[in-house]
Order: sequence, then C-alpha cells, then structure tokens
Amino acid sequence: CSADDILTTPPTTAVAATTAITDPVSAAAAVAGMYDALGSGRYYGTDFVIFGDLSSDNTSHSGTFSTYRNADQNALLADNTTTAGIWRQIYTGINTANNVLARMPDATYLTTALRDQYKGEAYFLRALGHHNATKLWGAVPVVTQPTTSAEEAGQVARADTATVYRQILADLDSAEKYIGSGKRTTTASLGAVRALRARVKLYRADWAGALAAAQSVDAMGYTLVPTYSDLFSLTGSATAEDIFRLRFSDTDQNSESYYYFPKTLGGRYEVAPTTDLRSAYAATDTRLAWNIQTSGTRVYGAKFRSVSGTEHMHVIRYAEVVLIEAEALARLNRLAEAVVQLNKVRTRAGVAPVAATTQQAVIDAIILERRLELAFEGDRWPDMVRTGLATSFLAAKGAKTTQALYPVPQRDRDVAPGLTQNAGY
Amino acid sequence: AHAQDAPSIRVTVVDSATRQPVPNAQILVGGAARGTTDAAGRLVVRNTRPGTVTVRVQRIGFRPQTRQVTVSGSGAELEIALATQAAVLSDVVVVGYGTRSRAEVSSSVAQVGGEQVRNTPVAGVDAALQGKAPGVQVTQNAGNPGNGITVRVRGASSISASNQPLYVIDGVPLIQENASQIGFGGQGMTAVTGLNPDEIDRIDVLKDAAAAAIYGSRASNGVILITTKRGAISGPRFTFNAYYGQQKSARRLPMLNAQQYVAFMNEAATNDGEDPLFTPGTDDAIDTDWQSAVLRTAPVSNFNLTASGGGDRFQYLISGSRFGQDGIVMGSGYNRGSGRVNLDATATSKLTLRSSLALTREHFDRTENDNTIVGPQANAQANQPNVPIYKEGTTTFSSSADGLAYANSVALATYNKAPGNSLRALGSVEAAFEATDRLRINGRFGADVYDLNERRWDSPRVADTYAVGATGVAQQGTTTSTKFVSEAYADADLLRSEAQKLTLTVGSSAEFNHNEILFLRGEGFGSDQFQYPGSAGKIVTYDGRATQANLLSAFSRASYSLNGRYLVTASLRTDGSSRFGKDRRYGVFPAVSLGWNVSDESLLSGMRRFATMKLRGSYGVTGNQAIPTLYGYLTSYARANYAGTAGIAPDALGNEDLRWESTRESDVGIDLGFLDGRVTVIADYYSKLTTDLLVSRPVPTTSGFTTIFDNVGSVKNAGVELQVTTQNFRAREKGGFDWTTDFNVSHNANKVVGLYQNQPFASGIGAVNYVAVGQPIGVFFTYKFAGVDPQTGDAQFRKADGTLTTSPVAADRQYVGSPHPQYYGGLRNSFTWKAFDLNAFVQFSQGAKVFNLFREYSDDAGYNTDNKIANVLKRWQKPGDVTDVPRASYNGTSGADFVSSRYVEDGSYVRLQDVTFGVRLPSAIVGRGGVSNARLFVTGSNLKLWTDYLGYDPDVNSNGSNANTALGQDFYAYPRARTISIGLSGAF
Repeated sequence: CSADDILTTPPTTAVAATTAITDPVSAAAAVAGMYDALGSGRYYGTDFVIFGDLSSDNTSHSGTFSTYRNADQNALLADNTTTAGIWRQIYTGINTANNVLARMPDATYLTTALRDQYKGEAYFLRALGHHNATKLWGAVPVVTQPTTSAEEAGQVARADTATVYRQILADLDSAEKYIGSGKRTTTASLGAVRALRARVKLYRADWAGALAAAQSVDAMGYTLVPTYSDLFSLTGSATAEDIFRLRFSDTDQNSESYYYFPKTLGGRYEVAPTTDLRSAYAATDTRLAWNIQTSGTRVYGAKFRSVSGTEHMHVIRYAEVVLIEAEALARLNRLAEAVVQLNKVRTRAGVAPVAATTQQAVIDAIILERRLELAFEGDRWPDMVRTGLATSFLAAKGAKTTQALYPVPQRDRDVAPGLTQNAGY
Repeated sequence: AHAQDAPSIRVTVVDSATRQPVPNAQILVGGAARGTTDAAGRLVVRNTRPGTVTVRVQRIGFRPQTRQVTVSGSGAELEIALATQAAVLSDVVVVGYGTRSRAEVSSSVAQVGGEQVRNTPVAGVDAALQGKAPGVQVTQNAGNPGNGITVRVRGASSISASNQPLYVIDGVPLIQENASQIGFGGQGMTAVTGLNPDEIDRIDVLKDAAAAAIYGSRASNGVILITTKRGAISGPRFTFNAYYGQQKSARRLPMLNAQQYVAFMNEAATNDGEDPLFTPGTDDAIDTDWQSAVLRTAPVSNFNLTASGGGDRFQYLISGSRFGQDGIVMGSGYNRGSGRVNLDATATSKLTLRSSLALTREHFDRTENDNTIVGPQANAQANQPNVPIYKEGTTTFSSSADGLAYANSVALATYNKAPGNSLRALGSVEAAFEATDRLRINGRFGADVYDLNERRWDSPRVADTYAVGATGVAQQGTTTSTKFVSEAYADADLLRSEAQKLTLTVGSSAEFNHNEILFLRGEGFGSDQFQYPGSAGKIVTYDGRATQANLLSAFSRASYSLNGRYLVTASLRTDGSSRFGKDRRYGVFPAVSLGWNVSDESLLSGMRRFATMKLRGSYGVTGNQAIPTLYGYLTSYARANYAGTAGIAPDALGNEDLRWESTRESDVGIDLGFLDGRVTVIADYYSKLTTDLLVSRPVPTTSGFTTIFDNVGSVKNAGVELQVTTQNFRAREKGGFDWTTDFNVSHNANKVVGLYQNQPFASGIGAVNYVAVGQPIGVFFTYKFAGVDPQTGDAQFRKADGTLTTSPVAADRQYVGSPHPQYYGGLRNSFTWKAFDLNAFVQFSQGAKVFNLFREYSDDAGYNTDNKIANVLKRWQKPGDVTDVPRASYNGTSGADFVSSRYVEDGSYVRLQDVTFGVRLPSAIVGRGGVSNARLFVTGSNLKLWTDYLGYDPDVNSNGSNANTALGQDFYAYPRARTISIGLSGAF
C-alpha cells in the first residue's frame, strides 16, 4: 500500500460531517441527535433546570460547587462556568438543529411527509433554544446557519430582543407548517409547537396571542392527570398531560435527583428547597407531599426520585398551558374565566379553589400557582424576571438588580469581539 | 573458527586494580569502532585481516589504552587492563541508530548507568532516574506504588501536547501513554512503570535537538534510550540480586485531636455569633486518629535471577524478576513479574542476529486518592477526629449519621476495590549484515504489545457515597495497545583515514500503532458479593473503539571528524504522520552540531593541563505530534443517542491546516577533564523555542463547538546544566580507600511567549494554574495574602495597586509563584574501602511553589467541617495577636476560606534519597558454595526530607503525569514512604 494509505487512519467512532447524513437511517439519527443535545447535564439534564430555581426564591445552595453558590447568592460573575455551560449547550442544540435543516433540501431519499416532519422538529427546537436563551440572557445571538469553520464561529453578535422573538415566532410558524399532526410526547409535535407559542407570547406580554395559542392546544385533547405524582414516575410513563418531555434512561441520565437528594439517600445534596417555598404550599397540597420531603434533619427536593436519573423531564406540559391561559385571561381582565383555569390546577392538587377578586389578586394567585405547580422544573426564575418580582427579590437580598439577567460568558466574549456583555458584569 | 573466516581478535578488558571485567568498553580497531565489551568484559572483533593492527580501548572512568597487536591467520587473543580515571569523555554513548565514543559526540547526551537505577525500592525506572541526570526533572506526583511519573527533559515545551520524553528500549519506541480508563484522581498509570530496572544496562538521555532530531517528530521532549543487558562469551554464569524492605509513611500530618477540634470549631461558631457546635467533654470523648487507621507498615521486595553465557557464535541472557510492593495506604499495592531473553547469534562471518524479548505481568491494587473527596487517604485527612471508626460497641462503620461529613475512610479502604492487571510483550529481532568492512546494513522489527485489564468496585456498603443510591457501581475496562516498528538503516564509513573520518547513516522506519478499548460501567447489584458489570442491574456507560496512528519516516546522519579534533554531525529526519490532514502530514527535522577537542590541539600547549577539553555547539529542530486527538483535522459527527434511540450529532470542528509543533533548540557545551582526570565537568547552556503549539483553542460556543485544534502560541525554555564528577580519593592498590562524588544541578526558565489572542487561561483544581504570556506554564494566579489584621483577625489581601482589602474581587488576583523549580539536581558520594562500600544520594529541588489545596478545607478557619491541621493553633484570638493565621470563623467572615496565596507554599526540598551500605562477603564464607562477589547491602530510602512544606511531600502533583498546565497542586496526594531494605547479590 502507498504512503497515503498508511497515513490515512480514519476514526472508528466518528465520521466526516460531509458524509454523515446520507440516507433515511442517518437522517433519523441526526434528528435523534437534536434531542440528545437537550438532555445534556448542562441543559435539561441538570444545570438549566436547577438554576431556574436556584437563582429564585425556590431553592438554596447546600453543596460545594462555588458556581452554584454564586447563583444562589445572585452574585454571578462573567466567568461562571455553569451559566457558561448552559449557554453553550443551548447553542449546541441550535447548531445541531441548523445542521439538520441544512441537510433536508438534499434529503430526497426521505418521503416528503417525513422530511417535512424533521424540518418541523428542527424549527421547533431552534425556537425553543433561542427562547430558553433569551429568558436568561435577554438579547442573545440568533444563529440560523450550521457552523462549518472557526472563522464563521467568531462572527457572532447579539440581536435585540425584538429580533430574537421575531425569529422564534417565525421558526414556530415554520414548525407548525411542516411538523404534521402526529401526536408524540418524547419528540416535538404540533401540540408542542402550539404550547411553546403560548409560552413565548406570554413572555412577550402578547396576552391575546398567548390565549389563542393556549386555546389551540386545548382543542387537541390534552388533559390534566388526576394524580400529580404520576407525572414524575421513575420510568417516565406517558400521561395525557404530557406535551413534550425529554426521555432519560440508564445510559442517558439526568442528575436532578442526585443533586437534590441527601447523602443518606445516595445524593450529593447540592441544592435544597427554601423554607419560603415549603411554607407557600397549603398543608393539604398533594404537591407539597410529593415535592418536598425530609430525611433526618435534611429537607430535600423530592420531585425527581431516581438518583440514577432515569425519569423523564417535562419541557412543557399541559398544566403550564392551563396556567398560561389563566394568566392571559387575567391580564385581559377576564377574571372569571381566568379563575376557572386556575382552579383546574388547584383542584387537581387537592387544594381549595379560589374566587375571582381583583385583577392583581388573580394575577398574583396565578403566578404563585405557577411557582407551586412547576417548582423544581426551572420556571421560577424566568417567571420572576418576566413579572418584575426579581427586582424586589434582588433588592431585598442586597444583590444587584442587574443580576436579573445572566452574564454573557466571558470565555465567549474573549474570542468573539462582537459579543457585548449585559449591564452590571 | 571456520577456515573461510577472516581472523578474529578476542579482547578481554579488566580493571587493572580489581581484575574485575569492564563492560561497555569501546573497542576500536584501526580507528574504526567495532563494538563494546559485554558484562564479562569481552568482545570478539570479527573479520579482521592478518597483520599488525592498532587496538584502542576506551571506557568512562578509565584511562584509554592503545596496543599494537599482531593478528595471525587464526586470530589473536588480547587482555587489556585499564586503570581507573574519573573521566567522562572516553565513554560510549548511545545516540539512536548507533553508538559513538563520547569523544566523537558534539551534542548533549546524559548517561545513567544501570547500577544507578537498581535496588531503589520503587517500581519504575523513571522514578529511579530522579536527580541522576542533569536536565532531567522527575516529579513523583504521589507516593502510591506504581504511580505514573512526570519526566521533563529541559522543561515543559507544550501546553496541550505531551511533554513526556520519548522512551526507546533497544531501538523500539515504547507505548507510553496513560492507558488507564478508570480514573483515580491524579494517579496515572504509564507503561514505563513496567520496565524492570534489573534488566537495564544503561540509560542515555538525548537532550538537545541535535541529539534528538534523529527521532524527528517525537523528539521535542527529549529521548530516553534504554539499553538492556546482553549475554557474553563465557560458561554459564548466574547472578542474583534480591532485597526486602519495610515501608512506613515518611511523615504524618499534624491534625487536630478531638479536643482541639471541638474547641476550635466552637470558637469558630461563637466568633460568628452562632451557637457552639459541640459540647466539650461530651462531644470530644472519642479521639480517632484517622491517619493511623489507614496508614500501615508495608513490605517491598525484589528478586532477580539472571543466567548468561555463550560461545563464539551464540550468546544468551535469560533473566527473571519479581517485584512486590504493598502500599502504605490500606488496600493499595503493586507487583510485577518479568522475564527477559536476549539472544545474540553470529550466523555467518558477515551476519549477526539479535533478539530481545521481555514479558511482563503487572498487578495493581489502586485506591481512589489525589483530587477526590471519596478516597481512603483523602478522607482520613478530612474525617472529624471526634467520630469513632466504628459505631459504638459494634463493627459497623460510622457514617454521616454519626457526624461524619464525608464517607468513612476506613470503610472506603475496606469495601472498595480497584484491581488491575497488565500483560506486556516487548521485543525486537535485528539483523546486521557487514556487506563490506565499510558498509553495514541493519534491519530491525520491533513490537510492543500491551494489554491492560482494570476493574473498580464501589461498594454500596460504604455509607454516604453514590454507590449507596446506585446499589453498587462496577467498572471494567480493557485496553490493548500495539506498536510495531519496522526499520532498516545502513552505516557507511565513507572516509577512514588517520586524519579524516566520515560516517553516514541512512535509513527509514515505519511505525504502526493500534489501540482498542472496551469499557463497561454497571449499577445495581444483588449484593456486595457481585462486583463485575456482568452482574449489574443495568449498564449505564459503555465504550468500545479502535484507533490507529501511523508514522512513516526517513532519516540520515553524517558525522565527520578531522584529526579527531574537529567534529561535525548533521542529521535530517522526515516524518509523515497520520494525525494530520493530507496536505500537512510531512515534517522535516534538521540538526547540526559542531565539536572541537581543544585538548588535542598541539598549538594550544597551555591546554595540556586538561586531560580533555571539548567545546560543543548545536542547533536543531524537533517536533511534537502528541495531541490528545488523532483526528484534529476532521470536522465530524459522532454518537449522540437520545435515551436509547440511535443518534448522531456534530462532534468536532476540524482544522485541515493542523501541523507539527516544532522546537528550535541551540546548545553550547563544554566537556572538561583535569587534574589527571580526577575531575570532570560537563556543562551546557541551551535555549529552545517551541512554536506552532498544538492547542485546543476556544471558539465562541454559540457555534455549537467549544474548541478547535490549532497551531497557536509559543513557549521558551532556557537553562544551564552542570555535571561534576570528582575522584576525591583514589585507591592506590586494591582495597584502598576510594571516594567519588557526582554532582549535578540544572536550572531551567520556562516562559510562555505567545497564546491564542494572547488570552491567558486557567486550569487545575480551583482554576488557580494559569497559562499567560510572559509567565511560566501553570503559574499560580490568585489573591495575594497579606497577613492578618492584628485588630480584627481578618485575612487581608494585597490589591494590584498595593492597598489592602478584606474582600478581594476577581480583578485583585495576581501571579503569586511558579510551580517550576529554579534549581534541581542530585549529589552522590560513593566510598569503597576493603570489602565495604557506602553510597549516599541526596536529591534536591529549589524554588518551586506548591498549591496546598488540602488547606482550603483544613486551614479554612472552620468554614468546612473537615478536621484541621495544627497550623490553625497559631490563629488570631484577640486584638493585638500578630500571626498569619486568621481568626476562626464558621461563616467565613474572617476571609480565611478564600483561595489565596496563603495556600501557595514553598515547595523547596532537599531529600536524603538513598543511603546504601554494602559489604562483600569473604569468599571463605561463601566461596565454598561456588558463590562469588557476594554482597550484602542495607539501603535506606527517603530517610530525611528537609522542607518547610506543610503537606506530606512537596514533590507532588495531584493532577498526575498527564497534566501539562495544572502543575504543583497537592489535593490529598498519597503520602510518600520511607523504606529500609536489606539485600543480597552475587554470582555463581
């Protein structure tokens, strides 16, 4: 053999990007790869979910990681490696989706229906990625092309929030157009697209839009499961409430419960629920019994029960859509209708329904209900920022109000001259 | 001898004083090097012509001798007795693809005799090299048996690629990567550890680029050439060498006892307005010394038996050894069995064949340590002294329920296991064909086959560990690495007159590396009795892959000398590597060196007082390709499964322009011998610049990637080396008093010259090591501690502008010390008198700083619940106290828990590494059994350590032998043993 043959030794566990997606099997694998990115320990697998509560009044730091301690104290620095990891993983997911989108025009080996569905899933995941980023960082870069060289990678800049949201909504429109009507819960489906649109419009304070989107989900037949804890079964069995959840397994584990559980139960007790959260629940609330438990002197978060991390993670579930609908109605001052939606969630939890009073009281009740219902699912901090609760929370702690937005990773700013920093870092 | 053979000259070389054979003496016939003597001091020079020839014999430490010999048709027999002389310049040097007389070498090569690495109670030859050769810095990293060692030849030149030298044994490059798949903190395993010091005849270290460039792309970090022992023409001869020793921890950390701990923690709480944590008198009733609970006295032993001999046409050496070392920390140990067969055959008068084969089996028992908080040793330092080992009145281990903050260290040592086995076959076959008396053609095929099986069991019986929730964790990994080398080269004596000599070496080499791994991690076991992944409830991690990396090379070297005075050597190597993209595969590595034997210059009669004086100068380029990836050129997709569904996703951003890292090095040196050869000096100055560093440089993560491999940045190393050998007393007759001193010292200055966008970056535990332009690699960058405020007891830190603060911010961090020593070296004194010999070896390192991270938890004023070191007894307690230990503080209000230069300690040390006293047993006692040269010896190792360092040992790095930038960190490193051993050697 020639010298060139001897000196050409390709890897056995990787393939050149140019030849990776060439047939139906590899295209399906590339689509699965988009979901794998979401399951990373930096994203839905641990950090993204935990930080959504740790920065807020829901949980506090009880372990050893200084990057966690800084989040708990709302004293993040630009070199915080955990927030940098969340940022990085969100964009890894976006790049993976962009790679799939870039290959689809050539994917003539797929049926049109399947090719459209893959495109729809990729648009949805790109929208989800950008929205998760903007929830935590505000104005973020919008990336819509796959990265092929280091030079390209360096040309990154932040877009203003309006532009980010325009892209998100455009991607959701494309997703709705292509994704088809198949009902799935562990990959993206039409229901997930519409539910995310409801969430996005809520964050944009487009109440009518949020309401319309939420109602479009209602029409699809999702219902609340009677027993709250059924949503968090160890094996992740499907329920009628699931809209989009991420699968985890023995070989793809999350660390949520490992981080919440005390050492006596084999966890590392990195974060613990606050007394404030615990006392926010009514004593009879079945969610309290499931979400917060005690072992010895340790009060710990018990929503996720498998220390080896095999339970599924909800990205969006129907209870949130119900609460979005409630909030949109309340913001539109349709209080009686709002309370009906709110009470659906309360009744399921075994707590007394509330009556319509003033608009602000109803909105407050709904925001509190979101806190109780979605505790430990990473929604509290973005909610606090969205509703302005973060400002008074930070002030009361003596933290800088600029901590409401996470710092753009210094590491990225060092290598991307166009990337600006949020105020206060 | 056969009638058609040309006559042979049989030379025997002996020491004129002792009549002992002199091995390794170089024999020159008619000015041409014809080989070196074997262990019996013999060499048969074949293929000579009848008539009168000049035979010259030279060997380090002896005065060279020249004889006129008349060779008849049936050959000649010749015995030459050499008188000793402390001279280094007449030695034989292994230079890679050949040997040279030291007098002919104009590059920088250091030598260590096999006897210097034998009988040291350490497993590996790399560990035994410490302090023995100038320019070779050895860091032990940790004290566990068989631990991977860090060796740096003339400093660290790379940031991401390997900094370990290339090891070549009998011409075969070694598999030397850390093959372990199961991490144990900073404890590495290297295949170098498996080499048996008993089999080694000599070690030559090619230090400068001119010496190393013949190994081209792998030579940037120097080359260590190891030559094994071979058989000799003699009757069967058996030699044995054995020792047995006891090891104990050389130091104990002064930790607080229960009473001190309880009092201190209460003070910390009350200082911060908290309720006292403990009730004195009750909570300190139990006092546990956790260190004593896991540290033990452990044996170390070695036994070697060698048989050698042979006739005119066939010589053999067969040797077998067993080395065993239990660790001083419970549960750890290492043992090795090895055998070697080296054969030499003269097939025809023109063709000689050689084979070398070593088979080795190693067994490891490892314990997690170094850079962990779940290891027997680590937790012995952290566990609170007021908690008993066992729950009261039971044999059940105590746990967090009894007040421990971390898992019970004795439970960890008792229930967790991590055994491993390696099998290795290392060998070569060689043929040398003497085409004419001026042209020799050599072929070699070599193989290194290494198989490592390792396992780890984390028992669910150890409370407060992950294994409890997972019901046991078993890991098993196998690694099979093979390296095949096929080489051919020719030596031609183009000029061979009295005045001029020109030798040309031309050759080519192909190297094939293959590596295959399998790995399983299973969780969930029926009981503690099932400990293999096969019994697991589920497999949670798995791997299986193969990699291949090949190298094709052509090399040449020309050496010219005029009147033996003016020397020029030039070499050129071209390497093609599979690690780079199609257009960047080939690299060219040239070198040239000049030498001038001044003392032979008749014009300079004043120089005559020097027995020898040689000036050397060299310049060369070497390369480095050892980046952690083999596929840096490739933009690729890899596995990205979505919880059981097969998935793929972008994996790496490739760089098709990736190319060799290259080092340009110049060296000037002088070799001196004077006072009748009783003093010899070798001194070198070198400067080397490594450019196009192979680094994994950051890209904005918004790209979906984190890094890309690129050639960016440069590092400079410059230094001086000095080696002095003096014969202070020379025995006038056999058995007289003889005293020799060997001293070497090296200084190296390491500096990062350029980085990607000149951006500094952090590494290491706590991100305290920095790589920054203008600073040495791994410089410590943190808050600068400026003492304790005598009024408040709070820690103060110096800001960059010189003012003091008690609440430092990131911008206040400063460079506070380098992990590299300014000077290091060794001093050996050897005495012989009558039947007695005494050898004392001192090794030292000055100026390196060590980051004692263990103090972040044990000298933190009480912020963590770990036990404290006695240093806290010097704490500030009341206004006016002047001390450098801050006030006890449970909530960290005294600032003591800040990671700062308070934990950066002076790692300078002087170590009395070895003292050996030997006595030759009178033949009246042992001679009757046919035993000769029987020697009984006692060795003490690591007898005394002089240092201000507060940890176990400042010769440490908890990040292991693979670390390039995370240097000088001590995070629960395994302690070092002190060993006393007794041994016996002899022959029959």
